[in-house]
Amino acid sequence: MFDPHKAGEIAVSVQNLGLIYKTTIDKKLSLSNRVKHLGRGTKQTRIVNALDGVNLDIDYGNVLGVVGANGAGKSTMMRVISGILPPTSGRVEVYGKVSTLLALGVGFNKQLTGRENVILGGLASGLSRDEIESHFEEIADFAELGEAIDAPMRTYSSGMYARLGFSVAVTVKPDILIVDEALSTGDARFKEKSLAKLKELRGDNRALILVSHALGTIRDVCNDVAWLHKGKLIQRGMPNDVVDAYQEFLAVGKSAVVNEDV
Amino acid sequence: MNEYAKSELHASHFDSFFGQLWLILNPLMLSAIYFVLIKIIAGSADSTRYAHLTACLFLFYLVSNAMNSGTKSVTSSESLILNTAFPRIALPLSTTIVAFFKFLPTIPVFIIIKFSVGLPFDWNMLWGFLVIFIALIFGLGVAILISAANVYVRDISNFLPYLNRTLLYISPVLFEASSVSDQLAFFKNINPFFPILDSWSRVMVRNESLIWGDVAKAAIWAFGTFLIGTYLFLSREREFAVRV
Repeated sequence: MFDPHKAGEIAVSVQNLGLIYKTTIDKKLSLSNRVKHLGRGTKQTRIVNALDGVNLDIDYGNVLGVVGANGAGKSTMMRVISGILPPTSGRVEVYGKVSTLLALGVGFNKQLTGRENVILGGLASGLSRDEIESHFEEIADFAELGEAIDAPMRTYSSGMYARLGFSVAVTVKPDILIVDEALSTGDARFKEKSLAKLKELRGDNRALILVSHALGTIRDVCNDVAWLHKGKLIQRGMPNDVVDAYQEFLAVGKSAVVNEDV
Repeated sequence: MNEYAKSELHASHFDSFFGQLWLILNPLMLSAIYFVLIKIIAGSADSTRYAHLTACLFLFYLVSNAMNSGTKSVTSSESLILNTAFPRIALPLSTTIVAFFKFLPTIPVFIIIKFSVGLPFDWNMLWGFLVIFIALIFGLGVAILISAANVYVRDISNFLPYLNRTLLYISPVLFEASSVSDQLAFFKNINPFFPILDSWSRVMVRNESLIWGDVAKAAIWAFGTFLIGTYLFLSREREFAVRV
């Protein structure tokens, strides 16, 4: 299933990436809202320049940390790399199978049980039913949900939800794994376990991209860090150098708070 | 997709006996109400009329359910669209599969009704599969089209009850196609349900053979809607992630 890649082989190449999108000021677009605004000349849309000329290469065997203030374009870039959003300019080349664990969860159906969602999630990421069933025990064990795996997901706590999402994403053994702020809801023990799992994947010569505000985690797990600000790549380099520069920029210093997943 | 549809059915308990009973009860009760109405307004209604009413209501609800559930299929899957790369068209496709699964138990129910009111059976009824297929393609086309439109105009779902009701009243469900005067022939041609439901009633209720001109009209409506809907959906789907 997994075609091993050599360390140093290119996994993702982001070239001169730009993304501009139009967002609506009205909460929802509707016919009644459009009629109400007719003739008033009020502008209903706003142009957002989310990414601007970003160049970034990620190699297999590396863990790239992405840091930046809110609205820097981190999550947007992850969505472009995983093929969810189309870029406005530039290009993204991906050499392998991508599994995403983005900020909002995997998109589980809350009416269905954890078991059914694991099967659907696996099928959606391109696994066969047999492959999912052979990995099912592993996923359930890692998520430590016990009997709750057969309960509808609307009964889950946010931690249980995140644990199952993480288990599915890492167990499908993707070539490239993108984790966006997804570790912050688990408890300390699960966080420890998931960081160990990420390090294990790094050792397997997979490529990982980790977006986090937990700078301690970034220093610990990543061997390469990119700092984005307002859609632009500000700095790229060794974790300590980039994180120090970022902290200095934020003027928060090395306080305990920024090392925590909050 | 099939798995998704099955899970949806399971989540709404439609895979259980009482869940399926509920699916049949709704159109059955509607047909009983309309039958009484026709009897009061028109003064007479026979068993053929009742069989026609039931058969057409069942098929009408296949398309109508596909349309209703398809409308919000994209907008209600916000987190899935924002976090996973997959062909978005799978969303209206799976809600149409769900509508089809919900339609299936009405076929044996209609057979029982037809048998109990004493109407004969004939091989021509097998043409019913072709009509179901055309109705399904039409329902899928409408679901795909309307699910994409709903991303841009969110209150489409508010208009749906009116649209559904209008379509029901101008289609040959409460009346038979043969009773429509030539002056109203124009409405026959602009209503996609007309050739579909008339062909359905001919083969399923009256055991007559199909009028191929009507089948061609129905097929043109169905495949036309499907192709236009799919084209618009696919040309816009890359925008959905920033619009939902």
